[in-house]
Amino acid sequence: MPHCAPLLPRRRAKRAAVPRHLVRLATALAITLGGARVLSAQTLEDAEMLQRREVHASVTYASEGWSEYWEGTLRRSNGNVGEVTTQSVGLRVGVGVGQRLTVIGSLPYVWTEASQGVLHGMSGRQDLTLLAKYRVANPLIAGRVRLKLLAVGGLSTPTSDYTPDFLPLSIGSHSKSAITRLATHLQDRTGWFFDGYAERVWRSNVTLDRASYFSDGHYYETNEVAMPDVAMYRGTLGWQRGAWCIPVGVSAQRTLGGADIRRQDMPFVSNRMNATTAHAEVMYFLPRTSNLRLDLGAAHTITGRNVGRSTAFMTGFTYAFHL
Amino acid sequence: MPSMKGARIVALAMLGIAVLVSSCDKSIVEPNASLPPVEAASVDANAGSWKMIVLSGPDQVVVPDPTPVTGAAYQAELQAVKTAQANMTDAQRAAVRYWTGAGVLRWNEIERELVARYNLPPAPRADGSYPLPDAENPFSDPVFPFSNPPYAARAYSYVSVAQYEALKAAWYWKFRFNRLSPARNDPAVATAVAASALPSYPSEDAVLSGVTAEMLKLLFPASLEEITRKAAEEREAAILSGRATASDVAAGLALGKSIAALVINRARADGMSTAPGNPAMWKSLSDAAAARGETPWQSQETPARAPLLMNFGTVKAWTMTAAQVTALEPGAPPSTSSQQMKDELATVKNTIDNLTRDQLAIALKWNDGAGTATPPGHWNAIASDYVRDARMSEVRAARVYAMLNMAMHDVAVGCWDTKMKFFNPRPAQLDPSIKTMIGLPNFPAFPSGHSTFSGAAATTLSYFFPQARASFDAMADEAGISRLYGGIHYPSDIREGKAHGTRIGEWVLNVARADGAN
Repeated sequence: MPHCAPLLPRRRAKRAAVPRHLVRLATALAITLGGARVLSAQTLEDAEMLQRREVHASVTYASEGWSEYWEGTLRRSNGNVGEVTTQSVGLRVGVGVGQRLTVIGSLPYVWTEASQGVLHGMSGRQDLTLLAKYRVANPLIAGRVRLKLLAVGGLSTPTSDYTPDFLPLSIGSHSKSAITRLATHLQDRTGWFFDGYAERVWRSNVTLDRASYFSDGHYYETNEVAMPDVAMYRGTLGWQRGAWCIPVGVSAQRTLGGADIRRQDMPFVSNRMNATTAHAEVMYFLPRTSNLRLDLGAAHTITGRNVGRSTAFMTGFTYAFHL
Repeated sequence: MPSMKGARIVALAMLGIAVLVSSCDKSIVEPNASLPPVEAASVDANAGSWKMIVLSGPDQVVVPDPTPVTGAAYQAELQAVKTAQANMTDAQRAAVRYWTGAGVLRWNEIERELVARYNLPPAPRADGSYPLPDAENPFSDPVFPFSNPPYAARAYSYVSVAQYEALKAAWYWKFRFNRLSPARNDPAVATAVAASALPSYPSEDAVLSGVTAEMLKLLFPASLEEITRKAAEEREAAILSGRATASDVAAGLALGKSIAALVINRARADGMSTAPGNPAMWKSLSDAAAARGETPWQSQETPARAPLLMNFGTVKAWTMTAAQVTALEPGAPPSTSSQQMKDELATVKNTIDNLTRDQLAIALKWNDGAGTATPPGHWNAIASDYVRDARMSEVRAARVYAMLNMAMHDVAVGCWDTKMKFFNPRPAQLDPSIKTMIGLPNFPAFPSGHSTFSGAAATTLSYFFPQARASFDAMADEAGISRLYGGIHYPSDIREGKAHGTRIGEWVLNVARADGAN
């Protein structure tokens, strides 16, 4: 996610910091076809660094729905689920630990439902994600463009005993994960900026309540499922002026292995879930309290594999203060 | 904020851990991937006299006399065994280890995989109709077969019965000719396990490969290549493991294939071809229920799908006549308008609304829905763990699977006949606010298929492994109640289903008790 910082050079405000960031489609992008995107859900995606002792606290609500999905590469609808909706309320806190180090934690509560058919929706606390962002370099290029390079590492773990074995209505994959990411941020004096990153998510194997399952052409007689890793790429172009910040971009999730959903089969937790998603946001700094920001976002999956063709909307507030 | 320094260390540690964890191993190990070589407690020398099921007798298919072991031909075969053993590749060694875990066990495992692979319902066409899988065009969409629970019950039973018949015949000829194993005829032949006293002609491995491959090719024709390769691998492993020579294998293969042909003749005439039924039959089943004043079952799928194999109740059973099948069926379920049905519906609703995580786990454990080996496959997997530990000869292991799977086939016939007779709606039909925690099977509720399969399986397995009777019974009860937890069955479906299964299990055990194997 882009950050909507004030124009360069960055000021060392003594007052409550200007809310200079946070927020994304996080939760909105989060959960597509039963956890396909769970990882990106917890990936707090901006490149912004908080100042030391600066805290950003966010509450978000997201709703995502799809009535078509890709069964492997075949785009189809399914009368037995109709439209699948995933809603979530997320809490997120970011803390500036030092000028070069920011730590963020997030935890969503998620609930799902299908508009048709008999399948029961599911709900629960999903995964806790902790992310540490370390600023590797921060040079000014040609006297006008600030380049920032970040190394990001994080861990994510389920916080409740939800099942990953009821897709597309499971609330997540119930996998622990480790996230490593290289991110860059470019911003010039006119208000234009660019964010981009490449990320690798290692995912732990998951355990089912049953002793066997079919995946990738083989019938496994064990309850343990090998989870392929995931690569994420994201690029965002944005413009920021005054109280407004408007980022627009594209992200691509590529699962590095896993099988396609077979014809007329249910999705499975280790499927090869790929998605290319367009996203746009509008952030508005509320005028009367400069450290409160309103965020609105939307995302749409343009193309995918074993995921829903989803459209998501997100709204949230971010409050900034100094410790 | 004094902890900032600590927080910095924690944050940097997280970066480090994330990088380190990324190199962890995620490979999956299946518990039964390697099985210990079977050293049977007994060779079961009299198995040639055990009662046949399909064949008229053990010598219905005649095996030609073997050449003498002192002859040049046999000596050349022994030499070929030793040469092959001296030049084994790693892949061949792996195959020997795989098949010395016992052929009957391995083939059952392979069949469970085939069932799971083909256990997917056809997708609807654009016009809302559903195509039927076509055995004459098995590779198309939909692939053939759709190995749903009744299909699978029948498939497991045909393979198991054919194996049992073929191995009894093999034992008959083995002890009639008494040709010793290669290792006993020539100490220079290496063996994977201690050389058995079981005569080698015809080779039991080759018999199994031949009979099983022929049955599986009939049942899962689109997997012909895989089946053929597995069968060939088993025969090669028989030679490489020092259990058989080329002529042992040739005689075994021929015997296995000939017996498969006899069993296939039965399969072609058992009524399965008409099991899918037709729209007119669907309508008449529904009309009959309405005429009795009951709410008829309706498909909850969109678009509506015909009830699964609505005419499976007329398929031929193994151990009973059609009249005997009917005589052992449960009576009528509670009327859809009765207070009892209202109470049971409320029980389902209350269960789903207050489901615990442990109950959900039980529902998922026994789901056995699309893409699985089905409830009969689940019970075959359970049986396999006991067979594995029991040090049985191949023919005795085949007997366990034959009895288990005949019982599950016969109970499937009775269960489907009952389901269609009463055409009783599922809970989610009578109360649309009931949502399910597992897929809703597309056929009438009464009685519960899981419960009937499980009652029959637990009863049968308890006979062979009496030390585990309580455990099998507990599993059957858990399988049954899992359907209530899933929100797809009423308590009476489960209760009557298990009782039905138990009756059929006892019936089949009368066959086992009288077959001369004890």
